[in-house]
Amino acid sequence: MAERESTRPYLPAFSARSAAIYVTIPLIVAAVGFGGLGGSLGGIAGYLPTASVDILFSFLRMCAAYAASLGFALAYGYYAATRRTGERVMIPILDILQSVPILGFFPVAIYFFVDLTPAVAWLGPNLASVFLIFTSMAWNMVFGVYESLKLLPAELREAADTFGVRGSLRFRRVLFPATVNRLVYNSVLSWTGGWFFLVEAEIFTTNTSPLRGIGSFLSLSASAHNADAFLAGIVVLVAVIAFLDFAVWRPLGRRAERYRYDTSPSGESVLVTPTRDPGGRFHRAAAYVTRGVRTSVSWISTPLVQLASITVRPARKTSEFQRSVFYYLALGAILVVVWLMMIAITVSVFRVFTGPISGSVRHQILLLPFAMGASTVRIAAAYAICLAITLPLAILVARRPRASRVGLPVIEVIASFPATALFPVIVFELIPYLGSEGAAVLMLLTGMIWYLFFNLLAGVRSLAPDLEEAARSFGLKGRQFFRRVLLPGIFPALVTGSITAFGGGWNTLIVAEYLKVGSGRSLSVLGIGQQIDIGYSEPGGTPLMVAALFTLVASVIVINEVIWKPLYRRASERFRYD
Amino acid sequence: MALIRIEHVDKSFASRHGSITIMQDISFDVKDADFLAIVGPSGCGKSTLLRLIQGLDRPTAGRVEFRNQPVDRVCPQMAMVFQSFALYPWLTVAQNVAFGLEALDWPADRIAAQVERYVSVTGLDGFQEAYPRELSGGMRQRVGLARALAVEPAVLLMDEPFSALDALTAESLREEILQLWGDPQLPPEAVVLVTHNIEEAILLADRVVVMSRRPSHVLAEVPIELPRPRDRKSPAFYDLTDRVYSLITEGGATSSAAPEGKPAA
Repeated sequence: MAERESTRPYLPAFSARSAAIYVTIPLIVAAVGFGGLGGSLGGIAGYLPTASVDILFSFLRMCAAYAASLGFALAYGYYAATRRTGERVMIPILDILQSVPILGFFPVAIYFFVDLTPAVAWLGPNLASVFLIFTSMAWNMVFGVYESLKLLPAELREAADTFGVRGSLRFRRVLFPATVNRLVYNSVLSWTGGWFFLVEAEIFTTNTSPLRGIGSFLSLSASAHNADAFLAGIVVLVAVIAFLDFAVWRPLGRRAERYRYDTSPSGESVLVTPTRDPGGRFHRAAAYVTRGVRTSVSWISTPLVQLASITVRPARKTSEFQRSVFYYLALGAILVVVWLMMIAITVSVFRVFTGPISGSVRHQILLLPFAMGASTVRIAAAYAICLAITLPLAILVARRPRASRVGLPVIEVIASFPATALFPVIVFELIPYLGSEGAAVLMLLTGMIWYLFFNLLAGVRSLAPDLEEAARSFGLKGRQFFRRVLLPGIFPALVTGSITAFGGGWNTLIVAEYLKVGSGRSLSVLGIGQQIDIGYSEPGGTPLMVAALFTLVASVIVINEVIWKPLYRRASERFRYD
Repeated sequence: MALIRIEHVDKSFASRHGSITIMQDISFDVKDADFLAIVGPSGCGKSTLLRLIQGLDRPTAGRVEFRNQPVDRVCPQMAMVFQSFALYPWLTVAQNVAFGLEALDWPADRIAAQVERYVSVTGLDGFQEAYPRELSGGMRQRVGLARALAVEPAVLLMDEPFSALDALTAESLREEILQLWGDPQLPPEAVVLVTHNIEEAILLADRVVVMSRRPSHVLAEVPIELPRPRDRKSPAFYDLTDRVYSLITEGGATSSAAPEGKPAA
């Protein structure tokens, strides 16, 4: 049996280089903004105190949401992993929760929490924003707990049985430690996601009543066209994220190493592999989303798919191709029918409970399919751009060690910065150059690109060296090498990355298509995200919002079923090599 | 006197194609001061049998008794040594050895003394604060052994304890087990060893229970009366090995198509 290294740091250790990067990036940001937005150094410094206080509020919200997520994850994950009935119900529910575009439900959540606590004015919006952050943090932590308990080797469980270790001792000595490694790892992901949504949560709630925080600070200063304040906010945000990363997560990550367990008795570790590459945390995030997409798709659509296959009972002489065409046509038809039914139900429910629906809202609802189409095209465009950037970049970073030594940490810091903070700038500064459509696609892109990049990077890196060597020894070069070796080799990673990038895209739609900050200046392009936002902000628009949500969820299911699922199957069957 | 009595035990598992019978009508005793080895081809349910003995699993039919009491829950007077060691990577060597004692609610100072004793008995002195990951396979299995001995069990159950070790390490650990077994100051009163290594069984045990392929039954109980230390190269040792080997191969001839692999315990 092979001896193992005693500790293998799974997050890169603190080093002079990473410190330099953390210091440099805020400075570069400031400098670029300084020139580009016309800020002044003195002006920026003047806003730093306010921004620091604001980020304290945001940080407290993050902590509250994180504490709630941690408690929720331990309880939910534990019950799901240990009770059979719990597992059967709780895990599918979770799968759906995490694959549904969360941002779409923001408006609903805000209504709920603000109405819940009418007596204390400040409480409702704060609860709402904490809840929204919670929804971006909790799921992957629950899966972390659940999976580490499920993957706990049977003999570790059995050893506890044989020595009569039960109850709280079992929790302290066996079950809780078993979850620690994954919990730490997933906490990093949760905080990254949390920052992304925090900015959004505060901006969203600003419309109803002002919430102090770094998100609203950024959006207000952007709408006031105050470059100094905006840049001060960005510098503070980057500083806090960087500080947390090397003062909290990296040390914790190294400590959590001890809590790693091997899933197979031979000492080969199954769990560790993805954590060893620096971009691993994003890769892992991607894997979660994929998993969610996969199971929820099968959970929701299996009945529909079965219905479709019954409709296309093969006539004897049809070809495989014809059958699959029929199959998808039938599936599409059934989904359209289900969608129409949902819309009809929504409209009639609202008619019964809140009275007649205004003509303009009805008109908007009829336009939803077009809005959905526009959004899909937009996401596809953003995806194409992402692919064009990330594929060469991933190959470059993976195959040039020197490039990756400097480049990768920079990319990681950029990736963990919440792009939503920059959205106000994108809206106000870039629309003149890019147009509304261009700005919307650019915002979508920021919500998609990292998933694709880190997946592709992991894919290129995991390419078996002997396959590459064999290709070299047979003289395969250039295009041929790309087509015959590289592309098939990274195909599974490409599919996973694409699925998760699209997931990120659906999530970002709600912000990217409709952004109104302060008074006057806004962005609005026809799309499903726009319709959800309009439904939220217009009086009497609730039916539109609900109908748009249904449309979005139904379309995501169709796209998963028709495009990603077959591709995923192909990737895991044909292109896998072990 | 029989310490453990196994009477007409059947075990079957539900599977997609109906129930699969793992073992049928197994009966034998483990006596006081018995070093018993159970050998058989892989997939015959040896490990399952060990789990039935401790009460980690229930027989489908028949009964298991310990000191004339039916075993109907996990029996605290037995302790198990696992093939894969089953050490907790987040606990130090000392904490791993203390694992079973904590469940017994001993006071901390008594636990510390007991851990010290068995760490030293198993040759782990100086490694108390090490983590399992930092140890070699042989050292890890010593921790597994110390953990089991520390609760001073009446019966020590060993599930292929040497299979995950390289040949040389396994050999030296076997010798140490025999030395510990020869020390009257130390527990246990009896040992049940499961192995697929016939030589190992004959080298260590007083008696070898030979099991057939699935659905398995007891083919024979072979007493090993060679004096210890035993010489693998002696003709008597060779004859015994040969006898057990032919028992297994002939016994398995009727159902040689049985699939490989251990059933989930």
